[in-house]
Amino acid sequence: MNWRRWNNIIHRDLAYFLVGMTLVYSISGIAVNHRADWNPSYERQTDVLTIEPTLAETKEEILADVLPKLHIGANDLRNSFRPDAETLQLFLEEKSYSVDLPTGTVIVEVIHPRPVLHELNQLHLNAPKGVWTYISDFFALSLIVIAITGMFVLKGKNGLVGRGAWFIAAGIIVPVAYWVYYLNS
Amino acid sequence: MKHLSILVLCLCVLAVSFAGEKKFGKKITLKEKTKISAIMANPEKYDGKKVLVEGPIIEVCKMRGCWIKLGSDKEFETMTFKVEDGVIVFPMVVKGKTAIAEGVVSVKTYTVEQLIEQGKERAKEQGEEFDPSSIKGPKAVIQIKGEGAIVK
Repeated sequence: MNWRRWNNIIHRDLAYFLVGMTLVYSISGIAVNHRADWNPSYERQTDVLTIEPTLAETKEEILADVLPKLHIGANDLRNSFRPDAETLQLFLEEKSYSVDLPTGTVIVEVIHPRPVLHELNQLHLNAPKGVWTYISDFFALSLIVIAITGMFVLKGKNGLVGRGAWFIAAGIIVPVAYWVYYLNS
Repeated sequence: MKHLSILVLCLCVLAVSFAGEKKFGKKITLKEKTKISAIMANPEKYDGKKVLVEGPIIEVCKMRGCWIKLGSDKEFETMTFKVEDGVIVFPMVVKGKTAIAEGVVSVKTYTVEQLIEQGKERAKEQGEEFDPSSIKGPKAVIQIKGEGAIVK
């Protein structure tokens, strides 16, 4: 078997193997690219409630007064904090309450991970670390192999010496030209 | 079948990695914790020093996850733990959990203009309103430049 056949086998099978990983990184890449405009991993919903204002002063007294009004069991409470004298924050799993004590106005914030996108982004941003670091390194190295072997899949006028050369040049010019533009703008 | 087994094994490893307490950034090196209230009471003493603090996460940067606000051991005091964009990304669901966080204390005085600019930026990130008139004058901002954290 000649080298080109081996090249094409490696190119084909590695590309098949990396379909899943490529989709993870590319879909997440689009989502994460625009994180200045939205949070790609979490959906946030807020609601405003009103309860009777509390006259209690110490945190323990305030909690004893406020929790029943919000129908929150003590066991459901993950944490609580008073950032200032007029505010009580209550934290539950994926939900938080900010209570304005003098007025009784309560802002409820619910945070949901976006289905699928959350998981894809966690993998893309290497949140799991550990073994995933090496899996994603393998993915990146494999993309290099696919790119290099891809150049040699075809021979002749559609290969590296013909049409392929123009496409490769165009693909290199785009990032280089943009970088030059970026540096001078 | 062999390939399927490898895939299942990888997914199991991932699932274990996601479970339990979560580590962010560099490994924590300090053993002794410093109370946030001690830093707030005497910021100059800690300026430029590496500290390990613990507190409830009362706020998370909604857009980039590039900072968390920690509640102090004393009421009405908070401390921002700011990390480099993209180096550490705190997920929004850590809100309300407890963080053990290590970083270098930074004390910097900002002008009114700088504070208004920061306030606008933060309000945009958080999707909230910002009232520039709430800034009354220059202010020393005490924060921790975060290096690593454990959230549990």
